[in-house]
Amino acid sequence: MHMTTAVIPSLARLISVASVLAATACLAAESQPTTVELLARAPERGNWFPQTIEVKQGETVNLVIRNVDPVTHGFYLPGLDVTAGEIKAGDVRELTFTPHTAGEYSFYCSVWCSDFHMHMRGKLIVR
Amino acid sequence: MHHRVLASYGIIASCITLSACGGAGEFSGDLVGNQRTVEVVARKFEYEPSVITVKEGETVVIKLASQDVTHGFYLDGYGEQTTIPPGDIKLVEFTADKTGRFAFRCSETCGHFHPYMIGHLRVLPNRRYYAGVSLVVLLGLGSLVYGSRRRERHRTHLFGFIPLNWRFELTRYKPIRALFKSRWFPLVFILVNFFIFVVVLVAGFAGGLSAGNVNFGVMVVWILWWVLLMTIFVPVVGRFWCMTCPFPLIGDWLQRGTLGSGGRQKSWGLNRKWPKQFRNLWPVTACFLLSTLFVGFFTVQPFATFVLLALIVIGAIAVSLIYEKRTFCLYLCPVSGFQGLYSNFAACEVRVKDPEVCKTHTPKTCYVGSEHGYGCPWMELPFEMNRNTYCGLCLECFKTCPHDNMAFNVRPFGTDLLTERRRTDELQNRRGMDEAFKSLTMIGILFAFFLTMQGPYGWLKDMVMAASLGSYGLFLGGYLLLNLALVPILFLAVSYLSKRASGNRDIPLKKIFVDFSYSLVPLGVARWAAFSLGILLPNGSYLPRVISDPFSRGWDLFGTAGYEWTPFLTGTLPYLQLSLLFVGLAFSLEYGYRFANRIFTTEREATRGWIPMLLFITALGVFFVWLFEG
Repeated sequence: MHMTTAVIPSLARLISVASVLAATACLAAESQPTTVELLARAPERGNWFPQTIEVKQGETVNLVIRNVDPVTHGFYLPGLDVTAGEIKAGDVRELTFTPHTAGEYSFYCSVWCSDFHMHMRGKLIVR
Repeated sequence: MHHRVLASYGIIASCITLSACGGAGEFSGDLVGNQRTVEVVARKFEYEPSVITVKEGETVVIKLASQDVTHGFYLDGYGEQTTIPPGDIKLVEFTADKTGRFAFRCSETCGHFHPYMIGHLRVLPNRRYYAGVSLVVLLGLGSLVYGSRRRERHRTHLFGFIPLNWRFELTRYKPIRALFKSRWFPLVFILVNFFIFVVVLVAGFAGGLSAGNVNFGVMVVWILWWVLLMTIFVPVVGRFWCMTCPFPLIGDWLQRGTLGSGGRQKSWGLNRKWPKQFRNLWPVTACFLLSTLFVGFFTVQPFATFVLLALIVIGAIAVSLIYEKRTFCLYLCPVSGFQGLYSNFAACEVRVKDPEVCKTHTPKTCYVGSEHGYGCPWMELPFEMNRNTYCGLCLECFKTCPHDNMAFNVRPFGTDLLTERRRTDELQNRRGMDEAFKSLTMIGILFAFFLTMQGPYGWLKDMVMAASLGSYGLFLGGYLLLNLALVPILFLAVSYLSKRASGNRDIPLKKIFVDFSYSLVPLGVARWAAFSLGILLPNGSYLPRVISDPFSRGWDLFGTAGYEWTPFLTGTLPYLQLSLLFVGLAFSLEYGYRFANRIFTTEREATRGWIPMLLFITALGVFFVWLFEG
């Protein structure tokens, strides 16, 4: 029971994320900012999804963070000085930034959200 | 003799009052001068301490810290609010100038049980509670004295002034009758609800395990639908929800082959008859009790709401293909039981205008159907229907009656409770053990619901949400024991006392048990309405947000997506709840005395047999005042 309740919504999200990504690919051809959807979840419920984001150097990134968890999260990307502060349960936050230097940057949850809060981190790769 | 009984009742009553008012308990925290400081730790999903007791007039400082995630604090009645991020200490300071019990609630979504994270501030002396208990006891005492001084007028008038046979026919107005006869009514309502519930299902599925309080599905079903059902639909109109319910739509369509017009009368399905031994409220009572075992999931998790509703949708379709007409609605829908029983209290009814017209009318188109509509989908015999229990208000009989002999009446509350079983249709229109059990289980279910959703006990919430399998098992065991054994046994004991007190040994105990169980119905309707107001007023403000952004995609359809959680009228809530309880209790006592006169053979027996039951109902009233205010 617990497995299925966890798997089915994740599948639903996968599909929605895939469609967003597909739409993004189409838009990118028209040199629009790249839209990336990022789900915020505490580590025990799946962590950031996707946990690794790849973007191109110099391209404007439109990061849509959706808190699909029942607790407050935060977003902090210190390497590029990007922060969203608190994102409450159910909220959607959009951030726009343009990375000019290639490299790997870690992003973190900035609000204590669970016993595993310190593990809630992901990676932004700029090529 | 009578004076002795009255005197003993007076003594018991004052004992109840004293024990309720005494035992103030210790005050919380430390008092320096006139300032009381209480340290409170918030964690999922309780405050520690969860009950804070202070004295009227003190300056109260509550030091708040969180042990896990960001929590919040909102104090009903006083309106104090703050958020508590972990690592911080927040101070809430106020003068305790209002007495009574006030809930403080988490104001920051902190997990699935966030809406149930509640503590109680008791500002003593709790005058509201004392007043409530005294009024309930006075009401009981008054009813006893008044009962022994009844005159002829009280036989035909509720409380001596509302005529029991008063009816006001709404369908006497031509536009209303024309509306009721139209095939599009109530189909339009059903289609609107169908659309809403498709959105609910999608939102529930897409919402997955996210927070229920910001999910369209969870909020529309458990805040909007449930509260409307329990505060307006059932108490006033009866099975109004059944009239507009979208769940049987697909089944109806499969059976009839059409939605809008009066189509064929034969079902595509197997059209089987539901087994006779289950043509009562037993199966729906079981279905409801079974669903409530998972209340800690489907009222807070979008996906669990989706599963529950999907099961009902699939069940309704499957049953419509196997069994005839609205078998699912009558005998399997989880919410059909209390709607059926409690709609006997409702102030509306569908009845025949003139029975003489029906006597000569053949064939009975209201039962077999005609080109204008279907034979009663709820398998009632509209031409002799005398109770609301199994009337789904589908209005087909208005369409099929060629003589316009059906009426939609407004009536005094609860007159169906007096209706005896009919010899011509023993299966449907009866009073029986099934309805008695439905009535009794609704006591324990409310008790458990209230403590889980509006009580201050974190350990209970852990059990109900199945924090561990063992604790969940303990909850299931205790819950079923309470509902299936403790409450019925208590009521059986009271019924036995009633039999002994009456002095008539020839009356079967079962008759006393069943007939008196109907006196619990008005109080039942009232306490469920009171409980539901306690859900709506603090949490209704989640609705504007989810309506503007039903799938949590960051939409703002109606410009209300940014609407913050704002408790509404929570300072007035206790008075509304107490008023509802008093009205319910007054009706319970009023009808109960009438049942006594029907059960027992002489008025003397009835008056004496009624006393234990009156004590029990009054005690139940005190119990609910304690639950809501104590």
